[in-house]
Amino acid sequence: MSKAKEGFLRVILTMAVALAIGALLIIAIGENPIDAYGALLNGAFNGKFRLGTTLAGFTPLLLTSIAFAIAAKAGAFNVGVEGEVFLGGIVAAYIGINWTFLPKPLLIIACFVGAMVVAALWAFIPAALRAFYNVSEVCTTILMNTVALHITSYLVSGPMSAGTANPQTAPVTVTLYQFMKPSSANVGMFIAIIAVIAVIFMLYKTSWGYKIRTVGGNPNHADYVGISSKKVFIGAMMLSGALGGMAGCIEVLGVHGYFLNNFATGLGSNGMLAALIVKNNMFATPFMAFFLAVLSAGGMGMQQMTGVPKALVDTIAAVFIIIATMETLFTFKKRRDIRVAEKKKKEGQS
Amino acid sequence: MSAVIDNMDKIFNLSLVYATFRSASPIIFAALCAAITQQANILNVGTEGIMLVGAFTAVAVSYFSGSWIIGVGAAMLAGAVIAMIIGVGHVKYKADNCAIGMGINMLALAITKFLLNVIFGTNGSFTSPDIDPIPRVHIGFLENIPVLGTLLNDWSLMEWFVIVLIIVLQFLFYKTVWGLRLRAVGQFEEAAKTAGIKVNAVKYQAIFIAGLIGGLAGAHLSLGYSTQFTENMTNNRGFMGVAAMYFGGANPVLTSLGCLLFGFADSVGSRLQAYGIPSQFVLMMPYIVTVVVLSISMAVKLSMNKKRQSSLT
Repeated sequence: MSKAKEGFLRVILTMAVALAIGALLIIAIGENPIDAYGALLNGAFNGKFRLGTTLAGFTPLLLTSIAFAIAAKAGAFNVGVEGEVFLGGIVAAYIGINWTFLPKPLLIIACFVGAMVVAALWAFIPAALRAFYNVSEVCTTILMNTVALHITSYLVSGPMSAGTANPQTAPVTVTLYQFMKPSSANVGMFIAIIAVIAVIFMLYKTSWGYKIRTVGGNPNHADYVGISSKKVFIGAMMLSGALGGMAGCIEVLGVHGYFLNNFATGLGSNGMLAALIVKNNMFATPFMAFFLAVLSAGGMGMQQMTGVPKALVDTIAAVFIIIATMETLFTFKKRRDIRVAEKKKKEGQS
Repeated sequence: MSAVIDNMDKIFNLSLVYATFRSASPIIFAALCAAITQQANILNVGTEGIMLVGAFTAVAVSYFSGSWIIGVGAAMLAGAVIAMIIGVGHVKYKADNCAIGMGINMLALAITKFLLNVIFGTNGSFTSPDIDPIPRVHIGFLENIPVLGTLLNDWSLMEWFVIVLIIVLQFLFYKTVWGLRLRAVGQFEEAAKTAGIKVNAVKYQAIFIAGLIGGLAGAHLSLGYSTQFTENMTNNRGFMGVAAMYFGGANPVLTSLGCLLFGFADSVGSRLQAYGIPSQFVLMMPYIVTVVVLSISMAVKLSMNKKRQSSLT
């Protein structure tokens, strides 16, 4: 069995176990799991609006999952993508509202560039702390997420508030075209897909990507062969941040049309989930992001159609990841090989 | 801003000492939970999740049984069960610490939300007069002593207990055979194995105890610090605990001192709120302080190590 095939089989097995545990929980609260999962699929795919909503949910997850994965390729555990989405969103909203002197196409580009630059700078802080002072980036990024959340929350309820009851900004003057109305699926999805393809190309076909993979594999070796592991580490984290910022920009310009307080809650952690489940495999991550988008979009339908709360979907996703991280859980073949080898040994002795 | 300066005496007064310790106490529990596994060289990213499950279990069991003792006991057990998932995953199935820890955190968040919905039929938070809180310790004769009365009276039982726990763990780590073995496993696993220490057994024990303490941390948060359960009520306190653990190098006493700093930021912040500082700045203050303090302490440690190495050669 080839390695890729084994990896694929493992993901399928993990998925089955997670869904089975979910089914047990559904039975435990006295509902029918087949009905519930049926309602989930129905809620994610049936009709233009539902499918569009799923695609709109898929877009940020695609970017945040690749953002987590690219940082992981350089050996970083970047939990801070969520904060980067928030900051990218607020910057995009600020530029989109105030820089009206620019012609529209330029303004859209300015929104993206601004969001990505600020998010990358935000990611620079934990990256530099890790590279130069060995401060755990897991801790700093997760704490900085809360800081980013409160910064945007202050801006949106104070200086940038539109004066509405819900803390939100005034509408931006440029938006991304929504192609599946009334859902909020927008052309941001294609921008995200292009960005992801560019990142994958960069990682496997350019010297910069080679450097990232070398540093992620063994930073000491990288330093030995003349690649500055610190610089590459920081660079990868900033790229990760920029992708997060892009996700925030797409959410603001494409989905909402303004900055909504707390809009990105869960986007970063779900993206991280998608990447972790497939062990940061760049090619499998987008599919996992899509699967999680289906789960969370369908979860809403399931909650409405049956008595199963939406939180069950998050539980399934969490179980999924816990099982997926256990590297040696589904290595049947190896175990069987070992057993066969032991048998042969014994036969040889007797 | 001038309001703040005018009211300095109201912000920085004697009761701030207790307020600091009070806000630090859940973080101290969390930091101790992280410190035990860190001594065995396992970074406990799942502290947050262990705590959250503990907090929910404590409230739910206390509500149904009407006894805080049973609630706390159940919370500790629940914490241990969750911790053992990390333990089995990490030790037996070679799961990455950070990955499985984050998985546990998400599981805790989702399953407490799910159970809150199913058992109590509410979203967001649950509170009820039937929840039996952890009692406060009222010391009669202190009432009339001016300074000590404000300082020491009416602490929650768990706030006293955390001090005991710090001392017990300090003793356990540095004065007992088990502690020596634990640290041996953490510092050089192969050497520990050669010395005949059952490495995996020690790791499991450390994770199990960490689970008990993590559950206790949650119980303190939901039955002592407040009397309710709220979705995500730990609010990254688990990670602050992990940060404090780094700060103190997994030494219980030093770690707890770090926690006091975060508690100080938290309680000063909540007082500043009354004088026109926007709530968001107040809320983010402990997080910023944590990141800054952690960075400074790691930088200092690094330069000290460099000095030590250069004096060797």
